[in-house]
Amino acid sequence: MSTDIDILKDVSTEEYKYGFTTDIEMDIAPKGLNEDIVRFISQKKNEPEWLLESRLKALRHFLKLEMPRWQNFELPPIDFQAISYYAAPKKKAKYNSLDEVDPELLATFEKLGIPLSEQKMLSGVAVDAVFDSVSVATTFKTKLKELGVIFCSFSEAVQEHPELVKKYLGTVVPYTDNIFAALNAAVVSDGSFVYIPKGVRCPMELSTYFRINAQNTGQFERTLIIADEGSYVSYLEGCTAPMRDENQLHAAVVELIALDNAEIKYSTVQNWYPGDKEGKGGIYNFVTKRGICKGVNAKISWTQVETGSAITWKYPSVILRGDNSSGEFYSVALTKNKQIADTGTKMYHIGKNTRSRIISKGISAGHGQNSYRGLVQIGSGAENARNFTQCDSLLIGDECGAHTFPYIESKNNTAMVEHEATTSKIGEDQIFYLNQRGIDTEKAVALIVNGYAKEVLNQLPMEFAVEAQKLLAISLEGSVG
Amino acid sequence: MDNTITQISNSLYSQCIADYELRSSSKDTAEPAELSALREKAFQQFKKTGFPSTKVEDWKYTNLTPFLKEEFITEQESDLVAVEESLVEKAMVPGLDSYRVVVVNGVYRPDLSDNIPHEGVYLFPLSAAIGRPAFKKHFGQYTDISRNHFAAVNTALFRDGLFLEIKNNTVLGKPLQVVHLTAADDHTFLQPRHLIVVGTSAAATIIESYVTVDNEASVFINHVSEIVVGENAQLQHYYIQTGNEKARYIHHTEVYQLASSVYNNYKASFPGTSLLRNNLNVALDGENVESHLYGLYLSGGHQLVDNHTIVDHRKPHCQSNELYKGVMKDEATGVFNGKIFVRKDAQKTNAFQQNNNLMLGKKAVIDSKPQLEIFADDVKCSHGSTVGQFNQEAMFYLKSRGIGDEKARALLIHAFAYDVTEKIPIPEVQAHINQLIEEGLKS
Repeated sequence: MSTDIDILKDVSTEEYKYGFTTDIEMDIAPKGLNEDIVRFISQKKNEPEWLLESRLKALRHFLKLEMPRWQNFELPPIDFQAISYYAAPKKKAKYNSLDEVDPELLATFEKLGIPLSEQKMLSGVAVDAVFDSVSVATTFKTKLKELGVIFCSFSEAVQEHPELVKKYLGTVVPYTDNIFAALNAAVVSDGSFVYIPKGVRCPMELSTYFRINAQNTGQFERTLIIADEGSYVSYLEGCTAPMRDENQLHAAVVELIALDNAEIKYSTVQNWYPGDKEGKGGIYNFVTKRGICKGVNAKISWTQVETGSAITWKYPSVILRGDNSSGEFYSVALTKNKQIADTGTKMYHIGKNTRSRIISKGISAGHGQNSYRGLVQIGSGAENARNFTQCDSLLIGDECGAHTFPYIESKNNTAMVEHEATTSKIGEDQIFYLNQRGIDTEKAVALIVNGYAKEVLNQLPMEFAVEAQKLLAISLEGSVG
Repeated sequence: MDNTITQISNSLYSQCIADYELRSSSKDTAEPAELSALREKAFQQFKKTGFPSTKVEDWKYTNLTPFLKEEFITEQESDLVAVEESLVEKAMVPGLDSYRVVVVNGVYRPDLSDNIPHEGVYLFPLSAAIGRPAFKKHFGQYTDISRNHFAAVNTALFRDGLFLEIKNNTVLGKPLQVVHLTAADDHTFLQPRHLIVVGTSAAATIIESYVTVDNEASVFINHVSEIVVGENAQLQHYYIQTGNEKARYIHHTEVYQLASSVYNNYKASFPGTSLLRNNLNVALDGENVESHLYGLYLSGGHQLVDNHTIVDHRKPHCQSNELYKGVMKDEATGVFNGKIFVRKDAQKTNAFQQNNNLMLGKKAVIDSKPQLEIFADDVKCSHGSTVGQFNQEAMFYLKSRGIGDEKARALLIHAFAYDVTEKIPIPEVQAHINQLIEEGLKS
């Protein structure tokens, strides 16, 4: 099948579209990680004493930890002392309208295809753009304020709503959770903070575009979303990053808290720079994401489309503590060239009648390695807990790999757990059928892959779904059988 | 020794070390140099790693600490053990015309076994087979001692076991029934070692049953079986595992299959033994190989039953199929880990795996971990795993037909197990296993 090989070549030579660097003066901390650096960051951000204390505590813990070795890939050594932990655009003014924003920044977003102005008009999305580490533009704030919704940068929340931050920060992902959570807790750069008050249904999708920009400054965002009783929020996160040679570490932490009858929907489209054909220079995406359904009937849903990064390593999880609460995880992960994805989810069933649903679709092409790793844990008190898991893998080309590592632990005899996984390639009969209808192989593959991922893409909000579909098509452009 | 149990099993650990050192220094064994070298390698490995703790991924759910804490002795005179005939008879499949082989504490007992008047079939104590070409060629070749702590101890310390060779083109007319009997007056840690070589185009059926004599003493039995299935050969292999609470079994089975061979393993375990850990590794190292692994574990009391399997597809055009079903009563804990590897060259592989668990006991626990690692693209692989309980509709249906609660449950359990038992081609064995299920449910 020579066409396959040609097409494979095409895929692997597809250049990263969003690789460019913006030139803005940066305020950069010296490389290295020690208490002074942490104090420096904290001081720069004018943080209260308790936050500094918790940063230092996390740092001390971090320094004691070793890198994990259980993952299903070779983890390149990371020199934490060779990273600069703080970078902020120098002009640190607060903007009320887009006109005041640095035009160069706006141009960056323009290139990314997500102009703030257009988004504001077309989609009604409130955008809190994180440009490297400091938020520079927050829109729709006024409108949200009327409803009592707090949507701001993490540093702003620390200044203006310290009681909320203090109450919830680190309650879902404590700094002791893992080495990257500890690192994040120590050197949090910025992030987003959302609080939805009781009974409020957030009228618009909240969205933050993260972008790693300064050389050698890994980003350490902290996202904290709290949905109070009976509220609803849908949150979008999307990422692109400029082309660069050195690996960049991205170790964010996302914490979701859903109280009684609340619902949080968290969607991610991740398209960071995956490195060149040899896998050189891509982003390391090591993120800890976890939500807790604290109250009864709470619901948390994670949806992710992962096409970028040299290594994607994350397990968005849900702790189902409240009775009748439910957790969902929908994922599409695409790896090509030398990309690695080790992703999946964890569902901890603690409350009665808790339900969880996991749909994971992995696509491996080129030399890509794709692993699903998941845990479904049914505690002894989780009467009538229910889980359904399906993870499918699609292999494109004979150099790639697909792996499945599900863990099922049940301590309750009324629980029902189902897990199902399949691995296969795109059927020649399917391609043949489409060819025979006049659709060339390339388009046929795109069609089949999109159909394959549909179940997940359908979960995304409209605007995102379009972007995600485009992303899959671009990533698989000229793809294969 | 970060990942090992150090404190509690320290005594057993040092005892194994001392035992080995004593034996290797005495030099009175006439073992060939290769075997001594293999033992030494295994010993060094064990010395380094000791017994696995739950930090070792393959032992994540099986904590050995409570099972290793007694003062074990590592030697046992077995030739002299008097064996009650009735116990052996009980372990035999009733009404099955077969050759009987009895192994007591890991030692083959010709005095209790049938003579096999079959050309091309060689049955010896392993210790007497060391000079044979088949032993030299295959012994210790397939088991990865660096990853299997207990296989390493066994390799370093084994004294005896069973050696069975079936020559090329030999078809064993009757099934071979091997009864492994364990009887000990003191707490004993045993290392039986077996090697089965089935030659090219040969065929055999082997039924191995495990029983323990009721005694006060605890026995920890660490079996290692290596099995070679030659080209075009067929082996039907049964494990029927029973025993009392004093018994702890670790059984590592390493199967190596050559082209166009068939290996079927049927495994059934029942309440009794407090610890049961089976490692069943099958390497499909030839084209057109077929492997079927069927398992049924009925567990009760505080039993811990752990089944680990590896199906390693190394060559193209092979098929494997695995079905393990578990019924968990009382406070039993079940562990299942099934790995399927499809290597890069193993195109056109079909590999399936399924694990279903029926939870009866309120405090029963299941840890299931099916696993796929696929490096070839033209394959069809799937796995499934479920944990659940009786279908309420089925229960209701049966009750509405006037069938009592208990009987309805028993019916549904048998129906659940049927998926496995129906695969057993010998009716007598099938009936025997159904009988054991019945007894296991009552216990």
